[in-house]
Amino acid sequence: MFTKDRLITSLFLLLSLVLVGHFVYFCIGWNVFVSLSDWKGLAPSYNIVGFDQYLRLFHDPVFLTSLKNNLILILLFVPGTLFLGLFLAILLDLKVRGEGVFRGIYLLPFALSFVVTATLWAWMYNLKIGVINTLLGKTGLEFLKSGWITDPNIALYCVVLALIWQFAGYTMLIFLAGIRSIPESQIRAAEVDGASGFNLYRRVVIPQLKAPALSAFVVLMVFALKAFDFIFVLTDGGPGYRTYVLALMMFRWTFSKNEFAYGAAIATILFLLALVIVVPYLYLSFRREKE
Amino acid sequence: MVSVTIKDLTKQYGTCVAVKDLNLEIKDGEFFVFLGPSGCGKSTTLLCIAGLVKPDKGEVWLGNELVTSPERDIYMTPQKREVAMVFQDYALYPHMTVFKNVAFPLEVRGEDKGEIMERVKATAELLGISQLLDRKPGQLSGGQRQRVALARAMVRKPKVFLLDEPLANLDAKLRVKTRIELKKLQQKLGVTTIYVTHDQVEAMTMADRIMVQKDGVTEQIGTPDELYNHPSNLFVAGFIGSPEMNFIDCTLIEEGNRLWLDAKEFKIPVPAKIVPELKSYIGEDLTMGIRPEDLYERESVKGITQKNALRMTADIIEPVGPYLLLHLSKGRCPLVARVKETTARIGQEVDIEMDLSKIHMFDKKTTEAII
Amino acid sequence: MRSPKPRRVILYILLVFSVFLFLLPLWACITTSFKTVKDLIYTTPVEPPLSPTVAPLITAFNIMVRPLLNSFTFTVAAMILSCLLGSINGYILTKIKFRGSNIVFLFFTIGIFIPYQAVLVPLVLTMSKLGLYNQIGGLILAHTAYGIPITTLLFRNFYGLIPDSVIMAAKTDGAGTWTIYRRIVLPLSLLPFVVAAVFQFTSIWNDFLFGVVLARGSEVQPASVALANLKGTTEFQWNVQMAGTLWYALPVLVIYLILAKYLIRGYMAGAVKG
Ligand SMILES: Nc1ncnc2c1ncn2[C@@H]1O[C@H](COP(=O)(O)OP(=O)(O)O)[C@@H](O)[C@H]1O
Ligand SMILES: [Mg+2]
Repeated sequence: MFTKDRLITSLFLLLSLVLVGHFVYFCIGWNVFVSLSDWKGLAPSYNIVGFDQYLRLFHDPVFLTSLKNNLILILLFVPGTLFLGLFLAILLDLKVRGEGVFRGIYLLPFALSFVVTATLWAWMYNLKIGVINTLLGKTGLEFLKSGWITDPNIALYCVVLALIWQFAGYTMLIFLAGIRSIPESQIRAAEVDGASGFNLYRRVVIPQLKAPALSAFVVLMVFALKAFDFIFVLTDGGPGYRTYVLALMMFRWTFSKNEFAYGAAIATILFLLALVIVVPYLYLSFRREKE
Repeated sequence: MVSVTIKDLTKQYGTCVAVKDLNLEIKDGEFFVFLGPSGCGKSTTLLCIAGLVKPDKGEVWLGNELVTSPERDIYMTPQKREVAMVFQDYALYPHMTVFKNVAFPLEVRGEDKGEIMERVKATAELLGISQLLDRKPGQLSGGQRQRVALARAMVRKPKVFLLDEPLANLDAKLRVKTRIELKKLQQKLGVTTIYVTHDQVEAMTMADRIMVQKDGVTEQIGTPDELYNHPSNLFVAGFIGSPEMNFIDCTLIEEGNRLWLDAKEFKIPVPAKIVPELKSYIGEDLTMGIRPEDLYERESVKGITQKNALRMTADIIEPVGPYLLLHLSKGRCPLVARVKETTARIGQEVDIEMDLSKIHMFDKKTTEAII
Repeated sequence: MRSPKPRRVILYILLVFSVFLFLLPLWACITTSFKTVKDLIYTTPVEPPLSPTVAPLITAFNIMVRPLLNSFTFTVAAMILSCLLGSINGYILTKIKFRGSNIVFLFFTIGIFIPYQAVLVPLVLTMSKLGLYNQIGGLILAHTAYGIPITTLLFRNFYGLIPDSVIMAAKTDGAGTWTIYRRIVLPLSLLPFVVAAVFQFTSIWNDFLFGVVLARGSEVQPASVALANLKGTTEFQWNVQMAGTLWYALPVLVIYLILAKYLIRGYMAGAVKG
């Protein structure tokens, strides 16, 4: 009973399944396969050597530095973005005039390409005539001038700051939608019960933002793991390896040094780390949808 | 126009049995109603007939054609069944004008333009929606939408009409009006019609025959008259008729050579006519049923042969149009009587006569009717 | 006139100060793009140019025009393809009951979250096998394939709102699966198509990773890669760099100004920036 009508529709689904099947699933498997080989140099080699590449990784100081930097990114960027987003969302929830304009401006950086924002921040952080140092000079805060992304001690924090700037609008959006979905009557009831201002948010509103916070959390975590373009363009991992991250290392080792097996091993680790975050989340949301 | 036959139809959703072992024969040209409370499987049955839901088991026949049979791996798609369906939410295509909506079934069948034009116009005329043809569904009132849905179903002269609570979303007044029009229209067209409703008044006034369903199980099939006067179990007896039939729990006892229904607060003699049917139930718990209109105030009783008087307290007197509803009680036994007029006053006692020739008896354990 | 409460004043001060912080980099970019080298030194980046010039914009445009056209070509093509496929998938997943539909949905959903690093090497190998390495076609294929998961999710969410009874009515009216899609579902999809198209356009346009591994340094390199190169080669010509940035960001800025509402719906639907 496969009618012609049905056949056309099925063929389209099949096309999608083949595309996603190959480019997502098969390629992931293929990558794992490559990571178990000794492929180095331009000619592919599928000589399987087992977990050698992975063992090598854990003695590689660049890998350990990158891993540490990813961790710092997660620990600073994720909560920073969540808090700034929540802060902005609450500000905008206070019956602000021109709310739409403010919202539009805060969200704007998120719509831009990482290459754009990285270039913008390169100009911000530029040592000699960059935006920040010039402004500090003009406002008599000369002593705060700094090398920013060229200063090994603070380069990574400068990257984090710029990323928070880019993502805060997104978390603001998610939180604002969450706040707005709380029934008005509940807020009124809480107000009648004497909660107001800060207390109203702390006791009534914020506890109900778990679901939006969780989804934003997952998005930010996954991003913090795979962050690449922004850092590649802004610092290229420098100074030294101070802002190296896993995705950047994977790219450099694979496509500059042609260490394909080694790069594939880094990619596999990245993938596994992402799974640790995403699988529980998907499991939760699928279960919720079923109910 | 065809008959519809259903054999052993069963449909389960997970652990929820929506329809169980349904057997049914609907005659050619009949107006047949599925009646039951919400969630009892009426829509599911209808969707199985339309082919929109595949049953787990059983057969559906349209005339002489077997269209569904999972056992024999037969399944005809809804597109080929030539049945038309009207949904409770009307399911109009929101992006199409009324004309396009009504024309859609003809267009997908590849009828030619002239023919489509003619038939849409004729159908619109019949349903009084000619002036609406250029509008979109969003610009119509509920009643108008309902008509467009009917027009879309009728335009292609289907073998069977399936109507799923088509009046449920209309206001009360329009519902009554449309009910009558729909019945007339069906008589005029003579198309076999299956009509789903949870409203027993709708069912009683429109149907040739009714099937009462509960929890996926058929409780009774019969004409409105049969269901009203001879309900086959407690559920049907209670579901049909408004106000509801009175039920009195009692025990059948034999005392002084007579059978009595002992309801604690009072005893009612069993009329001689039904003694043979009841004889085997002596000592058992039964439920007696009597409709409110078969209770009378003593003053107004004339010409009733088998009667029994009860002295009860009037709790509430509720005027409903031409009648009064007397809410009565004796001890913990409540009764409702429907009378034309009354001398009773609230809180005072009043003598009530029961027309014993009209009582219904049910086995309390099985809930099945005894007579 | 009531004088405003001090609390409200603080609120607006905070809001406006935030606006300053959020717009500062962009503002500095715009002013710098219109500055001569001399102005670059004699004015702060936040001040407007003393003698405005479009020379940096012209220089940058000449460098960027080819990559911009490349980006435009593959972005539009992949946007259309991924939206169409996503729409059909969304329709099948919501309106056609079949065993395993949940598995299929999960199959697509996981694709939204994977870090693309995990497929880069095989992706390059696949494209060279297909002869699509350093080709516009390769970029179109990659962006279409990796766009399907998110567009499927978007369309599925929207199609969940079309009542099943409408589809059932069309079936009893005699329409088949494909006819229902074309005549009923597709005409009702304007909104999801705008949302998905805006979302896909900005994501693909903004992409750097696929561009850099699939078409780096070639004739067909995307604008994102060209801009990154420009940054490397014009270290001290900040005005040209900022002008190039402006050119590359322009399409997204325009879309954002006109269609932000739809882009936001895309973000809300669980869409993730990659
Ligand atoms: N698609 C479905 N999935 C799961 N359960 C369903 C579905 N459709 C109906 N049911 C269940 O089957 C039972 C009968 O439903 P239905 O036929 O719609 O009842 P009615 O039309 O009499 O109100 C209900 O308990 C309902 O919850
Ligand atoms: Mg129903």
